[in-house]
Amino acid sequence: MAVPPKSGIELTDPRQIIRWSRQYAKSRTISFLVQWVIIVLMVLVVGAAGSLTNMAYQAHNMGLVILSVVLMGFMIMVLTWFSLSRWGSEVIAKITDWLYGEEGYVEYSGDRREGPAPLWLTALSGGLVVHHLVGAMLFSFAYMPLKMMQPFSACYMTPFLVMLILYQRLGLWAWIWPTLYGLHAVLLVMGFPIGFKGQWQLLNMVVPVLGYGFIAIMAGHLYSRFALYKLRQVAQAGLDRNAPMNDESLEQGQG
Amino acid sequence: MSGIDKTIHEPARLRILTLLASVDVMDFSFLLMTLGLTKGNLSSHMDRLEKVGYIAVEKTFNGKVPHTQYKLTSDGRGALETYWRELDSIRQMVMPEVDASPVNNQADASDATS
Repeated sequence: MAVPPKSGIELTDPRQIIRWSRQYAKSRTISFLVQWVIIVLMVLVVGAAGSLTNMAYQAHNMGLVILSVVLMGFMIMVLTWFSLSRWGSEVIAKITDWLYGEEGYVEYSGDRREGPAPLWLTALSGGLVVHHLVGAMLFSFAYMPLKMMQPFSACYMTPFLVMLILYQRLGLWAWIWPTLYGLHAVLLVMGFPIGFKGQWQLLNMVVPVLGYGFIAIMAGHLYSRFALYKLRQVAQAGLDRNAPMNDESLEQGQG
Repeated sequence: MSGIDKTIHEPARLRILTLLASVDVMDFSFLLMTLGLTKGNLSSHMDRLEKVGYIAVEKTFNGKVPHTQYKLTSDGRGALETYWRELDSIRQMVMPEVDASPVNNQADASDATS
């Protein structure tokens, strides 16, 4: 990215360097990307298994119902393992490296809480899985229509994401996800024609989870590009990149 | 200007220290990309800052690729704080009527050194 050199007090003010380096570090969207991947996988797995169970239930095929419920449980266990295992974190680290590797590494924890996640957050995350399992079961055994799955999911997911964002003190971009997800649910309940119909009904669940999270992550990523551009602009203003380290006169003065 | 720390007063090093003061850790690649200096030039500045004890260096390997990251030491943080104080006292002597902050609504420089 070309950074046009500019002069002026605003560009050489060190406070601008502090401001933009922190903005950049905070908007590298990796932690949110991790949570998004896990939540998307969870919802997709539960949704797909739920649909399979529903089809088997409608066809009165109890063998297939049991098989798909077992499959659902198994997939949840696989997902939990991925979320907690070293292998899962290595995959995420590779994605991070692929996204930001050439820019180098920067870490800022000033606004974030250190240490392991508190018990209430772990319990809320467990609750998220249970809530969606309950939803899948309700849908599977025809107690809830598929088009209500997203609003049912939003009842838990929206406040959960809000808590997550508040806890991690993420930027404004992160609020896009719960806001759009909650709004989508409200519009669906109010009967706005924003849902998929017929054989595409499962997309009513998939698209909001995948799409709104992705929009939020992209917004964070784009903001990090802007912050980096501003940071480079202020950090390079008036700096001669090829200037030799001419400290002799300074050294004499220091003695 | 006898009170001014000449190591910090150099423009590139002042930027390096300000960058390091604003975050927890930063690596060589990030500094290189942000400041747009040549590798040799940046290395010289980092060596100098390490020698005076203003920064701590951690060298590791990502597979076979060496990875060098830097942190501001408490000495470096203190020196930077003193530097800003010295500059401010000079400014007050020369222009006592001017407001201390030219960009009042921006993040305060003291954030980085606290």
